[in-house]
Amino acid sequence: MLKLQDFSLSVKDKILFNNLNLTINDGEIHVLMGQNGVGKSSIAKAIMGDNNYQVQGHIYYNDEDITNLSIYERSQKGIYLLNQSPMQIEGVTNAEMLRVAVASRSNIPINIFKFNQELENICASLELDKSFIHRDINVGCSGGERKKIELLHMWMLKPSLIILDEIDSGLDVDAIKIVSKSLKKYYELYKPSIIIITHSSSLLNTFDNYYVHVLNNQKIIKSGDKTLAEDILNKGFKELTDTFVIRKRNENE
Amino acid sequence: MNKLLVSDIIDLSTGTYLLKCLNNKLKITTNGDITIYIINELINNLDILVNDNSNITVFMINKNNPNNIDININEGNNTKIDFNYTFINHKDNTCVINNNIKGNNNNSNINIRNISNIGLSKIINNVYIDKLTKNNIALEDLKGINNGGLVHIEPNIICLSNEVEANHLTTIGGLDKDSLNYLMSKGINKDNAKELLLKGFIYSNMDEYIKSVEVI
Repeated sequence: MLKLQDFSLSVKDKILFNNLNLTINDGEIHVLMGQNGVGKSSIAKAIMGDNNYQVQGHIYYNDEDITNLSIYERSQKGIYLLNQSPMQIEGVTNAEMLRVAVASRSNIPINIFKFNQELENICASLELDKSFIHRDINVGCSGGERKKIELLHMWMLKPSLIILDEIDSGLDVDAIKIVSKSLKKYYELYKPSIIIITHSSSLLNTFDNYYVHVLNNQKIIKSGDKTLAEDILNKGFKELTDTFVIRKRNENE
Repeated sequence: MNKLLVSDIIDLSTGTYLLKCLNNKLKITTNGDITIYIINELINNLDILVNDNSNITVFMINKNNPNNIDININEGNNTKIDFNYTFINHKDNTCVINNNIKGNNNNSNINIRNISNIGLSKIINNVYIDKLTKNNIALEDLKGINNGGLVHIEPNIICLSNEVEANHLTTIGGLDKDSLNYLMSKGINKDNAKELLLKGFIYSNMDEYIKSVEVI
Protein backbone atom coordinates (compact mmCIF):
# COMPACT_ATOMS: atom_id res chain seq x y z
CA MET A 1 0.00 0.00 0.00
CA LEU A 2 1.22 3.48 -0.87
CA LYS A 3 0.18 6.42 1.23
CA LEU A 4 1.00 10.07 0.67
CA GLN A 5 0.30 11.91 3.91
CA ASP A 6 0.34 15.73 4.14
CA PHE A 7 2.53 15.49 1.07
CA SER A 8 3.97 18.76 -0.19
CA LEU A 9 6.28 18.88 -3.15
CA SER A 10 8.48 21.64 -4.48
CA VAL A 11 11.25 22.04 -6.99
CA LYS A 12 13.66 24.97 -6.98
CA ASP A 13 11.39 26.98 -4.64
CA LYS A 14 8.35 26.38 -6.83
CA ILE A 15 5.57 24.69 -4.83
CA LEU A 16 3.90 21.98 -6.92
CA PHE A 17 1.67 20.35 -4.31
CA ASN A 18 0.56 21.35 -0.87
CA ASN A 19 -0.72 18.98 1.80
CA LEU A 20 -1.89 16.32 -0.60
CA ASN A 21 -3.26 13.05 0.79
CA LEU A 22 -3.66 9.90 -1.24
CA THR A 23 -3.89 6.21 -0.39
CA ILE A 24 -3.42 3.45 -2.93
CA ASN A 25 -4.22 -0.01 -1.61
CA ASP A 26 -2.62 -3.22 -2.84
CA GLY A 27 -3.78 -4.12 -6.32
CA GLU A 28 -5.57 -0.83 -6.92
CA ILE A 29 -5.14 1.25 -10.05
CA HIS A 30 -5.16 5.03 -9.66
CA VAL A 31 -5.06 7.46 -12.55
CA LEU A 32 -3.63 10.96 -12.12
CA MET A 33 -4.98 13.46 -14.60
CA GLY A 34 -4.38 17.15 -15.01
CA GLN A 35 -3.38 19.83 -17.43
CA ASN A 36 0.19 20.06 -18.69
CA GLY A 37 2.61 21.45 -16.12
CA VAL A 38 0.44 20.68 -13.13
CA GLY A 39 3.14 18.39 -11.69
CA LYS A 40 1.96 14.85 -12.46
CA SER A 41 5.38 13.61 -13.55
CA SER A 42 6.95 15.36 -10.57
CA ILE A 43 4.80 13.31 -8.19
CA ALA A 44 5.93 10.16 -10.00
CA LYS A 45 9.59 11.10 -9.70
CA ALA A 46 9.20 12.12 -6.06
CA ILE A 47 7.60 8.78 -5.16
CA MET A 48 10.53 7.08 -6.90
CA GLY A 49 12.94 9.17 -4.80
CA ASP A 50 14.37 11.68 -7.27
CA ASN A 51 16.33 14.03 -5.04
CA ASN A 52 15.83 17.01 -7.35
CA TYR A 53 12.49 17.43 -5.56
CA GLN A 54 11.94 18.59 -2.01
CA VAL A 55 9.29 16.60 -0.17
CA GLN A 56 7.55 17.56 3.04
CA GLY A 57 5.13 15.25 4.78
CA HIS A 58 5.39 11.51 4.44
CA ILE A 59 5.43 8.76 1.85
CA TYR A 60 4.56 5.36 3.30
CA TYR A 61 4.95 2.13 1.41
CA ASN A 62 3.65 -1.04 3.02
CA ASP A 63 3.39 0.86 6.32
CA GLU A 64 7.05 1.89 6.22
CA ASP A 65 8.03 5.55 5.99
CA ILE A 66 10.14 5.70 2.83
CA THR A 67 10.27 9.51 2.62
CA ASN A 68 14.02 9.59 3.21
CA LEU A 69 15.00 6.42 1.37
CA SER A 70 17.16 6.56 -1.76
CA ILE A 71 15.97 5.62 -5.24
CA TYR A 72 17.83 2.34 -4.93
CA GLU A 73 16.16 1.45 -1.64
CA ARG A 74 12.70 2.30 -2.97
CA SER A 75 13.30 0.17 -6.03
CA GLN A 76 14.42 -2.70 -3.81
CA LYS A 77 11.11 -2.38 -1.98
CA GLY A 78 9.26 -2.93 -5.24
CA ILE A 79 8.59 0.54 -6.64
CA TYR A 80 9.13 0.91 -10.38
CA LEU A 81 8.80 4.03 -12.51
CA LEU A 82 8.19 3.58 -16.20
CA ASN A 83 9.11 6.91 -17.68
CA GLN A 84 7.78 8.61 -20.79
CA SER A 85 11.33 9.17 -22.09
CA PRO A 86 13.65 6.55 -20.63
CA MET A 87 17.39 7.25 -20.43
CA GLN A 88 19.89 5.91 -22.92
CA ILE A 89 22.90 4.27 -21.27
CA GLU A 90 25.80 3.83 -23.66
CA GLY A 91 28.03 0.83 -23.01
CA VAL A 92 25.67 -0.97 -20.60
CA THR A 93 23.51 -3.69 -22.10
CA ASN A 94 20.03 -4.63 -20.91
CA ALA A 95 21.25 -8.11 -19.95
CA GLU A 96 24.21 -6.75 -17.97
CA MET A 97 22.09 -4.26 -16.07
CA LEU A 98 19.34 -6.79 -15.36
CA ARG A 99 21.84 -9.41 -14.16
CA VAL A 100 23.16 -6.95 -11.57
CA ALA A 101 19.66 -5.73 -10.65
CA VAL A 102 18.16 -9.22 -10.30
CA ALA A 103 21.19 -10.49 -8.38
CA SER A 104 20.93 -7.61 -5.92
CA ARG A 105 17.31 -8.60 -5.17
CA SER A 106 18.09 -12.17 -4.33
CA ASN A 107 20.79 -14.17 -2.59
CA ILE A 108 20.37 -17.05 -5.00
CA PRO A 109 22.96 -17.10 -7.83
CA ILE A 110 21.49 -16.47 -11.25
CA ASN A 111 21.15 -19.40 -13.59
CA ILE A 112 22.32 -17.69 -16.79
CA PHE A 113 20.58 -20.16 -19.08
CA LYS A 114 17.21 -19.69 -17.37
CA PHE A 115 17.80 -15.96 -17.10
CA ASN A 116 18.44 -15.62 -20.84
CA GLN A 117 15.51 -17.90 -21.61
CA GLU A 118 13.23 -15.71 -19.51
CA LEU A 119 14.49 -12.58 -21.28
CA GLU A 120 13.87 -14.15 -24.67
CA ASN A 121 10.35 -15.21 -23.70
CA ILE A 122 9.49 -11.71 -22.51
CA CYS A 123 10.94 -10.21 -25.70
CA ALA A 124 8.75 -12.55 -27.73
CA SER A 125 5.64 -11.52 -25.80
CA LEU A 126 6.51 -7.86 -26.37
CA GLU A 127 7.27 -8.48 -30.07
CA LEU A 128 10.72 -7.12 -29.39
CA ASP A 129 13.66 -8.61 -31.28
CA LYS A 130 15.78 -10.66 -28.88
CA SER A 131 18.91 -8.87 -30.09
CA PHE A 132 17.83 -5.99 -27.83
CA ILE A 133 18.79 -8.11 -24.82
CA HIS A 134 22.46 -7.60 -25.57
CA ARG A 135 22.20 -4.09 -26.89
CA ASP A 136 23.02 -0.95 -24.92
CA ILE A 137 20.06 0.26 -22.87
CA ASN A 138 17.72 2.27 -25.12
CA VAL A 139 20.58 3.43 -27.39
CA GLY A 140 19.43 3.97 -30.96
CA CYS A 141 15.89 2.78 -30.14
CA SER A 142 12.62 4.26 -31.29
CA GLY A 143 10.09 5.55 -28.75
CA GLY A 144 8.08 2.34 -29.00
CA GLU A 145 11.13 0.12 -28.56
CA ARG A 146 12.17 2.06 -25.47
CA LYS A 147 8.82 1.56 -23.80
CA LYS A 148 8.97 -2.15 -24.58
CA ILE A 149 12.50 -2.34 -23.15
CA GLU A 150 11.28 -0.69 -19.95
CA LEU A 151 8.51 -3.30 -19.81
CA LEU A 152 11.14 -6.00 -20.28
CA HIS A 153 12.94 -4.59 -17.22
CA MET A 154 9.63 -4.50 -15.33
CA TRP A 155 8.89 -8.15 -16.02
CA MET A 156 12.36 -9.16 -14.86
CA LEU A 157 12.31 -7.04 -11.70
CA LYS A 158 8.71 -7.88 -10.74
CA PRO A 159 7.74 -4.67 -8.91
CA SER A 160 4.71 -4.41 -6.63
CA LEU A 161 4.01 -0.72 -7.34
CA ILE A 162 4.26 0.47 -10.93
CA ILE A 163 4.12 4.12 -11.93
CA LEU A 164 3.34 4.58 -15.60
CA ASP A 165 4.20 8.13 -16.61
CA GLU A 166 2.58 8.82 -19.99
CA ILE A 167 4.00 5.66 -21.49
CA ASP A 168 1.32 5.79 -24.17
CA SER A 169 2.63 9.07 -25.55
CA GLY A 170 4.23 8.75 -28.96
CA LEU A 171 3.21 5.12 -29.45
CA ASP A 172 1.52 3.92 -32.62
CA VAL A 173 -1.70 1.90 -32.45
CA ASP A 174 0.05 -1.47 -32.69
CA ALA A 175 2.61 -0.60 -30.04
CA ILE A 176 -0.12 0.59 -27.65
CA LYS A 177 -1.91 -2.75 -28.09
CA ILE A 178 1.25 -4.69 -27.25
CA VAL A 179 2.13 -2.48 -24.26
CA SER A 180 -1.45 -2.64 -22.93
CA LYS A 181 -1.60 -6.41 -23.34
CA SER A 182 1.68 -6.83 -21.49
CA LEU A 183 0.58 -4.58 -18.63
CA LYS A 184 -2.76 -6.35 -18.33
CA LYS A 185 -1.05 -9.74 -18.21
CA TYR A 186 1.36 -8.51 -15.54
CA TYR A 187 -1.52 -7.08 -13.53
CA GLU A 188 -3.50 -10.31 -13.68
CA LEU A 189 -0.46 -12.34 -12.71
CA TYR A 190 1.06 -10.25 -9.90
CA LYS A 191 -1.73 -7.83 -8.88
CA PRO A 192 0.57 -4.82 -8.34
CA SER A 193 -0.67 -1.37 -7.41
CA ILE A 194 -0.49 0.91 -10.43
CA ILE A 195 -0.39 4.68 -10.81
CA ILE A 196 -1.16 5.80 -14.33
CA ILE A 197 -0.43 9.27 -15.64
CA THR A 198 -2.02 9.80 -19.00
CA HIS A 199 -3.82 12.19 -21.32
CA SER A 200 -5.51 9.57 -23.44
CA SER A 201 -7.92 6.69 -23.17
CA SER A 202 -5.73 4.17 -24.98
CA LEU A 203 -4.07 2.80 -21.86
CA LEU A 204 -7.10 3.25 -19.59
CA ASN A 205 -9.18 0.93 -21.77
CA THR A 206 -6.82 -1.86 -20.69
CA PHE A 207 -8.24 -1.95 -17.18
CA ASP A 208 -11.82 -2.58 -16.08
CA ASN A 209 -11.80 -0.53 -12.90
CA TYR A 210 -9.69 2.28 -11.60
CA TYR A 211 -9.81 5.43 -9.50
CA VAL A 212 -9.23 8.85 -11.00
CA HIS A 213 -7.79 11.95 -9.35
CA VAL A 214 -7.73 15.33 -11.03
CA LEU A 215 -4.80 17.54 -10.05
CA ASN A 216 -4.94 21.30 -10.19
CA ASN A 217 -3.68 24.25 -8.20
CA GLN A 218 -1.40 22.15 -5.92
CA LYS A 219 -4.23 19.81 -4.92
CA ILE A 220 -6.46 16.92 -5.89
CA ILE A 221 -9.55 18.86 -6.91
CA LYS A 222 -11.74 15.88 -7.68
CA SER A 223 -11.62 12.10 -7.29
CA GLY A 224 -13.91 9.52 -8.80
CA ASP A 225 -14.14 6.31 -10.73
CA LYS A 226 -13.54 5.62 -14.42
CA THR A 227 -16.55 7.72 -15.43
CA LEU A 228 -14.63 10.81 -14.29
CA ALA A 229 -11.83 9.97 -16.72
CA GLU A 230 -14.40 9.47 -19.48
CA ASP A 231 -15.93 12.87 -18.70
CA ILE A 232 -12.56 14.59 -18.81
CA LEU A 233 -11.55 12.87 -22.03
CA ASN A 234 -14.85 14.01 -23.59
CA LYS A 235 -15.14 17.54 -22.18
CA GLY A 236 -11.60 18.51 -21.15
CA PHE A 237 -10.39 19.92 -17.85
CA LYS A 238 -11.80 23.43 -18.20
CA GLU A 239 -15.21 22.79 -16.68
CA LEU A 240 -13.68 21.09 -13.63
CA THR A 241 -10.95 23.64 -13.04
CA ASP A 242 -13.33 26.59 -13.53
CA THR A 243 -15.70 25.11 -10.94
CA PHE A 244 -12.77 24.67 -8.58
CA VAL A 245 -11.66 28.29 -9.05
CA ILE A 246 -15.20 29.61 -8.42
CA ARG A 247 -15.55 27.42 -5.31
CA LYS A 248 -12.20 28.63 -3.96
CA ARG A 249 -13.19 32.24 -4.62
CA ASN A 250 -16.47 31.76 -2.75
CA GLU A 251 -14.64 30.13 0.15
CA ASN A 252 -12.24 33.07 0.37
CA GLU A 253 -15.07 35.62 0.26
CA MET B 1 44.12 -13.83 -35.18
CA ASN B 2 47.92 -13.60 -35.45
CA LYS B 3 49.60 -13.27 -32.06
CA LEU B 4 52.95 -11.59 -32.49
CA LEU B 5 55.74 -10.92 -30.07
CA VAL B 6 57.45 -7.83 -31.45
CA SER B 7 60.66 -6.06 -30.54
CA ASP B 8 60.48 -2.55 -31.93
CA ILE B 9 59.72 -2.54 -35.67
CA ILE B 10 57.17 -4.57 -37.57
CA ASP B 11 55.64 -4.54 -41.05
CA LEU B 12 52.05 -5.76 -41.14
CA SER B 13 49.99 -6.77 -44.15
CA THR B 14 46.28 -7.61 -44.40
CA GLY B 15 45.09 -9.50 -41.29
CA THR B 16 44.23 -9.28 -37.60
CA TYR B 17 47.02 -9.03 -35.06
CA LEU B 18 47.40 -9.16 -31.30
CA LEU B 19 50.72 -7.50 -30.52
CA LYS B 20 52.82 -8.27 -27.46
CA CYS B 21 55.70 -5.84 -27.06
CA LEU B 22 59.21 -6.64 -25.85
CA ASN B 23 60.24 -2.98 -25.71
CA ASN B 24 58.56 0.26 -24.85
CA LYS B 25 58.97 1.56 -28.41
CA LEU B 26 56.98 0.23 -31.30
CA LYS B 27 57.01 1.22 -34.95
CA ILE B 28 54.34 -0.32 -37.16
CA THR B 29 54.18 -0.07 -40.94
CA THR B 30 50.93 -1.17 -42.49
CA ASN B 31 49.80 -2.34 -45.92
CA GLY B 32 46.27 -3.57 -46.61
CA ASP B 33 43.26 -4.10 -44.34
CA ILE B 34 44.55 -4.53 -40.84
CA THR B 35 43.13 -4.78 -37.33
CA ILE B 36 45.57 -4.44 -34.46
CA TYR B 37 44.96 -5.21 -30.79
CA ILE B 38 47.36 -3.92 -28.13
CA ILE B 39 46.23 -4.90 -24.63
CA ASN B 40 47.85 -3.71 -21.41
CA GLU B 41 51.28 -3.14 -23.00
CA LEU B 42 53.64 -0.58 -21.50
CA ILE B 43 54.66 1.51 -24.49
CA ASN B 44 56.22 5.00 -24.51
CA ASN B 45 56.44 5.52 -28.25
CA LEU B 46 54.09 4.19 -30.86
CA ASP B 47 54.61 5.10 -34.52
CA ILE B 48 52.12 3.97 -37.13
CA LEU B 49 52.80 4.49 -40.80
CA VAL B 50 49.67 3.94 -42.84
CA ASN B 51 50.79 3.28 -46.39
CA ASP B 52 48.74 4.22 -49.44
CA ASN B 53 45.43 2.38 -49.90
CA SER B 54 45.51 0.87 -46.42
CA ASN B 55 42.64 0.53 -43.98
CA ILE B 56 43.71 0.25 -40.35
CA THR B 57 41.79 -0.25 -37.12
CA VAL B 58 43.65 -0.15 -33.82
CA PHE B 59 42.20 -1.13 -30.46
CA MET B 60 44.58 -0.28 -27.66
CA ILE B 61 43.63 -0.53 -24.00
CA ASN B 62 45.52 -0.18 -20.78
CA LYS B 63 43.66 -0.38 -17.51
CA ASN B 64 46.76 -0.77 -15.35
CA ASN B 65 48.47 2.59 -15.29
CA PRO B 66 49.98 3.03 -18.75
CA ASN B 67 53.28 4.77 -19.39
CA ASN B 68 53.33 8.29 -20.71
CA ILE B 69 53.00 7.81 -24.43
CA ASP B 70 53.75 9.62 -27.69
CA ILE B 71 51.74 8.30 -30.59
CA ASN B 72 52.59 9.35 -34.14
CA ILE B 73 50.31 8.40 -36.98
CA ASN B 74 51.38 9.20 -40.54
CA GLU B 75 48.99 8.75 -43.39
CA GLY B 76 49.75 8.56 -47.10
CA ASN B 77 46.98 8.59 -49.73
CA ASN B 78 43.60 6.84 -49.82
CA THR B 79 43.86 5.52 -46.30
CA LYS B 80 41.48 5.00 -43.43
CA ILE B 81 42.47 4.72 -39.81
CA ASP B 82 40.31 4.19 -36.72
CA PHE B 83 42.55 4.59 -33.73
CA ASN B 84 40.85 3.65 -30.46
CA TYR B 85 42.71 4.02 -27.19
CA THR B 86 41.30 3.60 -23.70
CA PHE B 87 43.32 3.98 -20.54
CA ILE B 88 42.88 4.29 -16.81
CA ASN B 89 45.52 6.13 -14.83
CA HIS B 90 46.27 5.93 -11.12
CA LYS B 91 49.05 8.54 -11.28
CA ASP B 92 49.94 11.54 -13.47
CA ASN B 93 49.98 10.57 -17.12
CA THR B 94 50.49 12.26 -20.46
CA CYS B 95 49.31 10.98 -23.81
CA VAL B 96 50.30 12.95 -26.92
CA ILE B 97 48.92 11.95 -30.30
CA ASN B 98 50.18 13.48 -33.52
CA ASN B 99 48.05 12.58 -36.48
CA ASN B 100 49.89 13.70 -39.61
CA ILE B 101 47.87 13.76 -42.79
CA LYS B 102 50.27 14.36 -45.64
CA GLY B 103 48.40 12.99 -48.65
CA ASN B 104 44.92 13.01 -50.18
CA ASN B 105 41.67 11.08 -49.65
CA ASN B 106 42.36 10.01 -46.09
CA ASN B 107 39.84 9.36 -43.37
CA SER B 108 41.02 9.32 -39.76
CA ASN B 109 39.10 8.83 -36.52
CA ILE B 110 40.92 9.21 -33.24
CA ASN B 111 38.81 7.97 -30.32
CA ILE B 112 40.30 8.30 -26.86
CA ARG B 113 38.65 7.37 -23.56
CA ASN B 114 40.30 8.02 -20.23
CA ILE B 115 39.32 7.51 -16.61
CA SER B 116 41.55 9.40 -14.25
CA ASN B 117 41.41 7.72 -10.85
CA ILE B 118 44.38 9.48 -9.27
CA GLY B 119 46.58 12.29 -10.57
CA LEU B 120 46.38 14.50 -13.63
CA SER B 121 45.85 12.89 -16.99
CA LYS B 122 46.80 15.03 -19.99
CA ILE B 123 45.60 14.13 -23.45
CA ILE B 124 46.96 16.25 -26.25
CA ASN B 125 45.72 15.35 -29.68
CA ASN B 126 47.22 17.19 -32.63
CA VAL B 127 45.85 16.71 -36.11
CA TYR B 128 48.12 18.22 -38.78
CA ILE B 129 46.76 18.50 -42.27
CA ASP B 130 49.36 19.50 -44.84
CA LYS B 131 49.10 22.32 -47.31
CA LEU B 132 47.71 21.49 -50.76
CA THR B 133 46.21 18.19 -49.62
CA LYS B 134 42.66 17.34 -50.75
CA ASN B 135 39.59 15.37 -49.68
CA ASN B 136 40.73 14.49 -46.18
CA ILE B 137 38.39 13.81 -43.28
CA ALA B 138 39.62 13.99 -39.70
CA LEU B 139 37.65 13.42 -36.52
CA GLU B 140 38.95 13.52 -32.98
CA ASP B 141 36.63 12.21 -30.28
CA LEU B 142 38.25 12.63 -26.87
CA LYS B 143 36.40 11.87 -23.64
CA GLY B 144 37.58 11.79 -20.06
CA ILE B 145 36.03 11.06 -16.69
CA ASN B 146 37.32 12.67 -13.51
CA ASN B 147 36.94 9.72 -11.16
CA GLY B 148 39.04 10.96 -8.27
CA GLY B 149 41.79 12.27 -10.55
CA LEU B 150 41.60 15.00 -13.16
CA VAL B 151 41.53 14.94 -16.94
CA HIS B 152 42.94 17.67 -19.15
CA ILE B 153 42.33 17.47 -22.88
CA GLU B 154 43.73 19.60 -25.68
CA PRO B 155 42.08 18.90 -29.02
CA ASN B 156 44.13 20.66 -31.69
CA ILE B 157 43.49 20.74 -35.39
CA ILE B 158 46.21 22.46 -37.39
CA CYS B 159 44.83 22.68 -40.85
CA LEU B 160 46.77 24.20 -43.72
CA SER B 161 44.50 22.91 -46.46
CA ASN B 162 41.23 24.35 -47.69
CA GLU B 163 39.76 21.04 -48.79
CA VAL B 164 39.27 19.17 -45.58
CA GLU B 165 36.48 18.13 -43.22
CA ALA B 166 37.74 18.26 -39.66
CA ASN B 167 35.72 17.87 -36.47
CA HIS B 168 36.44 17.45 -32.82
CA LEU B 169 34.35 16.29 -29.89
CA THR B 170 35.68 16.67 -26.40
CA THR B 171 33.99 16.04 -23.09
CA ILE B 172 35.33 15.93 -19.56
CA GLY B 173 33.20 15.38 -16.51
CA GLY B 174 32.08 13.07 -13.79
CA LEU B 175 29.59 10.26 -14.19
CA ASP B 176 26.22 11.41 -15.46
CA LYS B 177 23.90 11.86 -12.47
CA ASP B 178 20.76 11.01 -14.44
CA SER B 179 22.32 7.77 -15.70
CA LEU B 180 23.27 6.85 -12.13
CA ASN B 181 19.72 7.59 -10.94
CA TYR B 182 18.28 5.53 -13.78
CA LEU B 183 20.34 2.47 -12.85
CA MET B 184 19.59 2.95 -9.16
CA SER B 185 15.88 3.10 -10.01
CA LYS B 186 16.27 -0.50 -11.19
CA GLY B 187 17.43 -1.49 -7.72
CA ILE B 188 21.16 -1.29 -8.32
CA ASN B 189 23.17 0.27 -5.50
CA LYS B 190 25.31 3.32 -6.18
CA ASP B 191 28.66 1.49 -6.25
CA ASN B 192 27.43 -1.15 -8.69
CA ALA B 193 25.74 1.51 -10.82
CA LYS B 194 29.00 3.48 -10.98
CA GLU B 195 30.89 0.33 -11.90
CA LEU B 196 28.47 -0.43 -14.73
CA LEU B 197 28.74 3.10 -16.11
CA LEU B 198 32.54 3.17 -15.92
CA LYS B 199 32.74 -0.22 -17.62
CA GLY B 200 30.41 1.02 -20.33
CA PHE B 201 32.60 4.06 -20.84
CA ILE B 202 35.85 2.08 -20.95
CA TYR B 203 34.58 -0.21 -23.68
CA SER B 204 32.58 2.36 -25.63
CA ASN B 205 35.31 2.58 -28.30
CA MET B 206 36.36 -1.08 -28.13
CA ASP B 207 35.10 -4.09 -30.05
CA GLU B 208 33.65 -7.42 -28.94
CA TYR B 209 37.04 -9.15 -28.91
CA ILE B 210 38.49 -6.69 -26.39
CA LYS B 211 35.34 -6.92 -24.28
CA SER B 212 35.50 -10.71 -24.20
CA VAL B 213 39.21 -10.79 -23.37
CA GLU B 214 38.93 -8.09 -20.73
CA VAL B 215 35.90 -9.65 -19.06
CA ILE B 216 37.74 -12.96 -18.74
